[in-house]
Amino acid sequence: MNNSKSTQRVGSEHKPILSFENVSKRYDTLQALSNVSLNVNRGEVVCLIGPSGSGKSTLLRCANALETLDGGKVLFDGAVVDVRNPSSARGVRQRMGMVFQNFELFPHLTAERNITIGLTTVLKLDAAIAKERAHRLLAKVGLSDKARSYASALSGGQQQRVAIARALAMEPALILFDEPTSALDPETIGEVLSVMKALADEGMTMVVVTHEMDFARRVGDWVVVFDKGKIIEQGPPHRIFEEAAVERTRDFLGNLGWHGESADDKISPTQAKKSKPIRGKNAKRKN
Amino acid sequence: MTFQWNVIWENLPRFLDGALMTIWLSVVTMIIAIPGGLVLAFMRLSRFKAISLLAASFVEFFRATPLILQIYWVYYVLPAYFDVRLSQITTAIVGLSCNISAFNSETFRSGIVSIRKGQWNAGRAIGMSDYQIMLHIVLPQAVLRILPALATTWVSLFKDTSLVSIISVADLSYVSLKIRSETYRILEVLTAMAVIYWLMGYPQAKIVDWLHRRYKVAE
Repeated sequence: MNNSKSTQRVGSEHKPILSFENVSKRYDTLQALSNVSLNVNRGEVVCLIGPSGSGKSTLLRCANALETLDGGKVLFDGAVVDVRNPSSARGVRQRMGMVFQNFELFPHLTAERNITIGLTTVLKLDAAIAKERAHRLLAKVGLSDKARSYASALSGGQQQRVAIARALAMEPALILFDEPTSALDPETIGEVLSVMKALADEGMTMVVVTHEMDFARRVGDWVVVFDKGKIIEQGPPHRIFEEAAVERTRDFLGNLGWHGESADDKISPTQAKKSKPIRGKNAKRKN
Repeated sequence: MTFQWNVIWENLPRFLDGALMTIWLSVVTMIIAIPGGLVLAFMRLSRFKAISLLAASFVEFFRATPLILQIYWVYYVLPAYFDVRLSQITTAIVGLSCNISAFNSETFRSGIVSIRKGQWNAGRAIGMSDYQIMLHIVLPQAVLRILPALATTWVSLFKDTSLVSIISVADLSYVSLKIRSETYRILEVLTAMAVIYWLMGYPQAKIVDWLHRRYKVAE
């Protein structure tokens, strides 16, 4: 059911690295997820879109055992993710990076130490090796000069790039992004998306909850549409954005100002931040 | 009315010994009550109900009864019922430490729970254990946040040590009152006592003010 007849999914010749099988999650009276099944293949960028509160972020937290499940299971690299077994949950999280909406840098540590702390405490790497890796990753996200800065001295976009470097430092098999640009000023969204685009180009497996439709369409390999705790539609971006089969998907995209017209295909991700209409409306909806 | 300030100068070494004892009591009490408060805070945050309840009872007892009663209790009740005999100074330290540990534990607890859940999740997301998160992420941030509150407790403690004079520990209060009863120079002695307490206490209060400004939570 995941594969459209015309498109071969990226990495689908191998077993998926992450699968959700009939995952359900309840918060008191709210059914956050009902029977969600989804596969993520190696090397694939899967974008989860849909209205706020539709269960996208909850699904991410289920992936790395930050939430208990009320039904179904999550498989990572063939093994069941067991929330109730702390050491196995830690093992999963070590290999599955996560980037949060509010960055969640450790404010009492420098950018460099934010990156090395997992390396020295969890991976038990030598401090010098950890430091070297931190500097390499800060360079990669364009923040070589901020190694000694604290979060309070960094812009939102810079904080998020440090957070991405922190996740990368653990050399994860997969990175989860939970609305990585939703808390950012419009001017700094582009720099974060560029870093994410670069990672995608390197073949990093990514699951991205996003309201950035431009990003989902251009960078995503597979787009999954959520509504009310269910997946209502999934497919390759061109199909979701240009010929969505489900009316609710078309409504959702229409509300964001998307009407099946693709923007200029040639815009680079750094320029993408200038394409205001989509995000502009989206940002208003969010706030 | 004539003042005889020479009473003060003649007894100055005794006053200073008393002041030293006051400082010593405060320092030793705090050295015990910081880890003590931390242990009580962790116990109270424990998911095991029995441990949490035990710590809560301890804390609520010492917070809700007067320090003077606690000191008397350690001094008279422990020997009488439990055959535990402590020297006066040990009694003073035990009483003060229990009391300040109880207050510190509430301070630590509020600091720890004030660190938002996202920080825990960020630590977990890189595979850290809860213990590592507490040690490297939560506690350092919590301590910065509660530094002003801890300093306030210190200043209260510094003054409250005067209560141990009731069990004849030779702190500044005890020594002063003793000199008063020997010389009958009430005004001079109480004035000297006030001046010495103030000279020691005022800089501390100023440091606390500075800590409040310096570590005011900016988030």
